[in-house]
Amino acid sequence: MKQGYLYTIIFTLLISAIFSALLAVTNAGYLPVIERNQELATKKAVLDVLAVNTTGDSEVEAIFQENITQKSIANTEVFVYSQNGVVKGYAIAMAGPGLWGTIRGYVGVSSDGSELLGIGFTEHSETPGLGGRIDESWYKEQFRGLQLDGESVITYASSNDHQIDAITGATATSNAVLRILNGATAQVVSQLGGNQ
Amino acid sequence: MGESPAISPFVILLASIFTSNMVLANFLGMCSFISVSSEFKTASGLGKAVTLVMVFTTMINWLVYRFIVLPLGLEYLRYIIFIMVIAATVQIIEMAMDRYLPELHMKLGIFLPLITVNCSILGISLFMVIRNYNLLQSLFFGIGSGLGWWLAISALAAIREKMAKSRLPKGLDGPAITFITTGIMALAFVGFSGIFVIQ
Amino acid sequence: MQQIKEAFKRNLWDENQVLRQILGICSILAVTNLMANTLVMGFGLVFVVSLSSLTISALRHYIPHRVRMIIQTLIIAAYVILFDIFIKANFPEISKALGPYVGLIITNCIIMGRAEAFAQNNPPLLSMVDGLFAGLGYTVVLIIISFIREVLGFGTVLGYNINFLGFETWTIMVMPPAAFFIIGVLIWITNNRITQSASGGRG
Repeated sequence: MKQGYLYTIIFTLLISAIFSALLAVTNAGYLPVIERNQELATKKAVLDVLAVNTTGDSEVEAIFQENITQKSIANTEVFVYSQNGVVKGYAIAMAGPGLWGTIRGYVGVSSDGSELLGIGFTEHSETPGLGGRIDESWYKEQFRGLQLDGESVITYASSNDHQIDAITGATATSNAVLRILNGATAQVVSQLGGNQ
Repeated sequence: MGESPAISPFVILLASIFTSNMVLANFLGMCSFISVSSEFKTASGLGKAVTLVMVFTTMINWLVYRFIVLPLGLEYLRYIIFIMVIAATVQIIEMAMDRYLPELHMKLGIFLPLITVNCSILGISLFMVIRNYNLLQSLFFGIGSGLGWWLAISALAAIREKMAKSRLPKGLDGPAITFITTGIMALAFVGFSGIFVIQ
Repeated sequence: MQQIKEAFKRNLWDENQVLRQILGICSILAVTNLMANTLVMGFGLVFVVSLSSLTISALRHYIPHRVRMIIQTLIIAAYVILFDIFIKANFPEISKALGPYVGLIITNCIIMGRAEAFAQNNPPLLSMVDGLFAGLGYTVVLIIISFIREVLGFGTVLGYNINFLGFETWTIMVMPPAAFFIIGVLIWITNNRITQSASGGRG
């Protein structure tokens, strides 16, 4: 088959144009859905760290509408969870470097700042099967109900009485999570004490 | 584009060689890793070529992403753009090498076409933009991933050369034992997980 | 019909892309520690390989020879992006877990391999069927791997707890090395089966 340069160039451009147009249309069509999903994922993470049980997406939206207000404490984004005007807990945004990239998530503390309600992650780029296991529930569940008594910070099992297991083969990520967590709680919890 | 993570480039370099090796922890570039690892010299040659291409493509892709893709809002086309840049870069490196470094071209030239379809090359470009690395972090990530790949394939090839003389059960020789050996190597590399502290 | 049957047997067993040809392992092995992730990735691969085979085959008389590879890559990448958008919209949680690994389907050697070895010289529908079975043969193997890893590593199947005996889960199964061990053993087993059944197999 003999084909000239002109044909080659026109064909390549034509194919690129057709597929790019197809993708542009699909992308534009799905963009709102994708954005809504991201918003919903954040809301789910916030309710999860506050130890609020939900079933289904509509309930998440409803609780968020009714019980959650957003404010800023010590320059950190905080979601306040209240029932009938009584504050039940705070979900504090946390972020910091992991092994590979920024880890973002939320940590829930009780209204007086004495108890950790839960932790969750919305974004990280750790290795699947190693550091990526911070997303697994056994790891996150360990943090629920830990006492935060002012001075002491959370540490892993071998070094203190707080019984948290690190992730096998992911020492750096496990340590990064604790550092991010302790940093976020320390700042906000001290401020909460003053507010109440 | 969000802020780049506050991670030292040296941590990225060491992490991509040891803690989270491209092949042994991320499974990138497996095809050529298994098929081109029976001989140490060839494997090492491929490793060098991969490192070279990785450094160039991460740099070019970073610049293309930052100054063309993002301003035009074409993020959803990034897979196509990256793979095209990689194909073109490999082509240019090959031509430049042929012209200016003919000796090196004799040694590495045969590997270059193989590299376009090596997943690790596209992989690190994608990882780099998803993690918002800055130019310096991307450079060290490219170097580290390349060196890590080279280290892994050279080590495997060295083991396989020795193993060629061993008597194995029927069916276990060839790819099967290569995978199991790789598994043991991966297990050993997990031991590197605590070698440094991120600040 | 005969050709379809032949394509089925060839792609699922005799020339299984993973177990016999050791192709295309890169992108997906990393996410085989959970079956749900593997199913979605496998579905994506089947989708991309069958549709790109169809497209490449339909255009085979028009694609200029000297830019063949570039055009093929472009078509493959376009389908991968479509799939990526689709799972982002419909399975946001799985999409988050898979992350950049979805994009790596582009460099999966199987897709390019089927395009070069089959779709180039065969009619569109047959190429699509061939791609479909090649993708399925691949996905089946990965599902077996992820099944073993999830059962032993988490004591669950697709997230449902089946750990009735209460055995201690094996952390190693969740970690990357396990994927290498399991795939090695699977290749060993199939090698033995094939050398038994066919005289003078690869041995």
